[in-house]
Amino acid sequence: MEFASVNGIKRPVRCCEETRLFAWESLGHKYGKQTWETQYVDISDVFGIGEMSPTGRYDAAIRKIAEDAPLRICENELLSGAATLGTAISHLVPAKYGEGAVFPSISHLTVDFETVLTRGLDGVRDDVLSSLEKHRGTDREEFLESCLHTLDSFDIWHKRYLDALDGMEGYEENRKNLLRVPHKPAATFHEAVQCVWICFAFLRLCGNWPGIGRLDKMLKPYYERDIENGTLTNDRAREIIAHFFIKGCEWVRGGNYGSGDAQHYQNLVISGVDEQGRDVTNPVTYLILDVIEEFGISDFPTTVRLNRSTDEKLIRRVAEVMRLGGGVLAVYNEDLIIKSLENYGYAPEEARRFANDGCWEVQIPGKTYFTYCPYDFLQLLQHNTLKDYTAVFDDFESLYRAYLDDVKALLEGLLSSVRAGFSSEDPWVWTERMPCTAVSLFEQGCVEKGLSYLEGGPVYNVISPHVGGLADTVNSLYALKKLVFEEKKIGFADFMEILRNNWEGAEALRRYVSGKYTYYGNDNDEADGICRRFLSDFADLCAGLDGRSGYKFPGGVSTFGRQLEWSPHRLACPYGRKSGEVLAANASPTPGTDTLGATAVIRSYCKNELSKLPVGAALDIRLLPSCTAGEEGLEALASLLRGFVLLGGFFMQPDVADAAILRSAQEKPEDYQNLSVRVSGWNARFVTLNREWQDMVIRQNECGCGF
Amino acid sequence: MHDGPGVRTTVFLKGCPLRCRWCHNPETQSAKRQLLFYEKKCLFCGGCLVCPEGVHSLGEKHTLDRSRCTACGKCADACPASALQISGVTMSVSRIVSEIKKDAAFYGERGGVTVSGGEPFAQPEGLKALLAACRAEGFNTAVDTCGAFDPRYLEKIVPLTDLFLWDIKDTDSVRLKEYTGADFAGILSNLRLADSLGARIRLRCILVKGVNDSEEHYREVARIAASLRGFDGADVLPYHAYSGAKAVFLGGEDNGRPEWVPDADEVAKMSEIINGQKQI
Repeated sequence: MEFASVNGIKRPVRCCEETRLFAWESLGHKYGKQTWETQYVDISDVFGIGEMSPTGRYDAAIRKIAEDAPLRICENELLSGAATLGTAISHLVPAKYGEGAVFPSISHLTVDFETVLTRGLDGVRDDVLSSLEKHRGTDREEFLESCLHTLDSFDIWHKRYLDALDGMEGYEENRKNLLRVPHKPAATFHEAVQCVWICFAFLRLCGNWPGIGRLDKMLKPYYERDIENGTLTNDRAREIIAHFFIKGCEWVRGGNYGSGDAQHYQNLVISGVDEQGRDVTNPVTYLILDVIEEFGISDFPTTVRLNRSTDEKLIRRVAEVMRLGGGVLAVYNEDLIIKSLENYGYAPEEARRFANDGCWEVQIPGKTYFTYCPYDFLQLLQHNTLKDYTAVFDDFESLYRAYLDDVKALLEGLLSSVRAGFSSEDPWVWTERMPCTAVSLFEQGCVEKGLSYLEGGPVYNVISPHVGGLADTVNSLYALKKLVFEEKKIGFADFMEILRNNWEGAEALRRYVSGKYTYYGNDNDEADGICRRFLSDFADLCAGLDGRSGYKFPGGVSTFGRQLEWSPHRLACPYGRKSGEVLAANASPTPGTDTLGATAVIRSYCKNELSKLPVGAALDIRLLPSCTAGEEGLEALASLLRGFVLLGGFFMQPDVADAAILRSAQEKPEDYQNLSVRVSGWNARFVTLNREWQDMVIRQNECGCGF
Repeated sequence: MHDGPGVRTTVFLKGCPLRCRWCHNPETQSAKRQLLFYEKKCLFCGGCLVCPEGVHSLGEKHTLDRSRCTACGKCADACPASALQISGVTMSVSRIVSEIKKDAAFYGERGGVTVSGGEPFAQPEGLKALLAACRAEGFNTAVDTCGAFDPRYLEKIVPLTDLFLWDIKDTDSVRLKEYTGADFAGILSNLRLADSLGARIRLRCILVKGVNDSEEHYREVARIAASLRGFDGADVLPYHAYSGAKAVFLGGEDNGRPEWVPDADEVAKMSEIINGQKQI
């Protein structure tokens, strides 16, 4: 059993042989394949199903899932419960009525596990009952009744595990824990992990893909109490955490899919400050890092909240795990993020609680409805503003203004489609949406208001417009400004013609713009200034949407790999790119235009007013294994993380990977089953990406962002 | 990242007294500005014909009469394809420091500035001023030297330098002279002087297969290392053939020698003998 690393450093062995075998088999798709065998339950024969309301049908589906989903009890597992229906892996409620699946499901949220940990599902049931009391006779009754049905279904499924484990040798502790959690508050560390796991597993069984949130913070009091009592050892706690990670791989099933087989938005966040500003870092933080280091499990992409005072020991540990590759670890600069959330209007205690949506977009966990709208801003520039290169502008300012007008029109379009989803304003009343009771039970606000997750139930409701194609757009504007308006080397109309012709017959000019100008990502104030200005204007335009619907519209920057779909359709670019060539990822430079290395890329990125974008802007950095080798490399990587915080970055996902290794993985996938790479907000086992995605990762790796 | 501890900014000073056959930075040998020509990038556009000295001619090929070139840079400015570039720029110490400062956020406690070359000691006054200015900013300082220089300056430079990266290219003085033009006795006496002045010294040992890949040489380096009070480890730097291609841009022949590239095992062996243990 050799868990792959990118630089030949052997991963340490800390867990017991049984746990390692469990990890090996789980990563080897054993459980993913099992899950795929049973796709869904059939509710067609449920009595009266044809006449039921959508909510009634949903409740019937959840009940049937709870009653009929296969149970899975793995050998030696320390945690019970499994999401065993294949259709859930396709982001659907795994129940069939007639021909198709019944309901889509929910993702891009981190649910509230803390309430269940401290008050138990019994506490949640009490809240539902008292809310029902309050809303009796109103149109909110049906949702609250559905909450009770869903809790009942959870009980049925939970009881099936209790019964199955009864008398099974070796599972006494599992059963003992389940007799308490999730219904009663967790009393021990093991119970707490079981509680989070089984709630997570139930939500996934019902098709949802929630994030985990701040696991080390949640588990800290249980760990400390048990260690003090002498009922837990650090090694035992590590085994339990390892099982949480291993069981989380139950959906990976190998094969080649577009974006890999492990993209289920189940992110973790570790370290950082609590509501009162105290550091939450504790031994569990390090146990989580131990597990990632030992197994390289990529299915729980983990983001470390760093700040200016983060302990040197933690930064070094993060660097140590990071350099084994796989891109499992990313970092937040919480100094900036908390400030940006406060600026946006969140109370300081609330801002300090932040986690993400299961990817990297920042949200207040367990309280937030979240979705994001990805836009290709390069397309907007090429198609709308420059009219497929038939438009003419007299000066840069009028071009830039016209572009901003187009951005504004785009955002207003988003707002009007959002507004169509309300039946009245003041207060905003959502039109009826598909049922989603299971996640609603784990989102603060829903039970209290008697409204589902999709109908304004959560405390905060957020739709985030995202800038895609940032660097390509900025570089296009910069090249136009320099070439046409400042150096006046060519007239606007003539230049447009060249771009329409995809640089044909204009190679000298193409080389000129690509070789002589210094683009975003090289710490050139002129180019970076356009980026800064644009993102600031974009954030202001987003702010202009607030208060005009039931949602807030904080902006973000992302492509999440969409640049791959976009690139064949985009025209040539003023900075020398020919049609069809690669485009930039997230807030990173256009591949090939950054020539000064990682520190210059970070400096350019950090010049942006990132605090105006409270959802986030992701920076991808790719490093060669040789740059992080030895004590010096470790120190350099740690320094890079520290510098990122000092300069005011937001979110950075460094990946240590070597294009040569990735190429050999393409040649011999069987030798690299466990090799994972960072794609964007998620990781993928490299060999489960399809060829196009693999090539994109390799190209990005070769194009720099290295030291 | 391979020029000392942590994240570092490296300042290359032009000019070197040696002429190593394996030099991987040939553009830093001459102390003067130089014109680099990347033939593959040339578009034959004729932009370079602005040259007032008539260096460029475009016939079948783009040829250069380098004897006339003053490295004024006019052709490089005119070349749209960046096929012509000027290597070397005169910068004041304060300008250099302001460039260095840009990366200060990444230095942490151990990262900082490395002055390399060429040979930094070939511009002793500039080196001293630069190191002093870096110290004033609180940056960690390193000097990457071939060891061949006028020893009088050491007394001033050592107190300003946190770490020396000191080349021991060969310990066979005849071979060293032949392949680099350097005088081993002079290098060794400078090294001892630096050590007696309290310098911390990391040895940098190029390994060239078929030239200095003898156990005798490794053991001699190990003996030197053991005799230094300020010894701070040694790096074995395997020869890379691709450095030869750089000579072409300066108008020379590709002097890369693939047969000189050592095996990884040999690199590990040398490192083990000098450092006394396996390096990761």
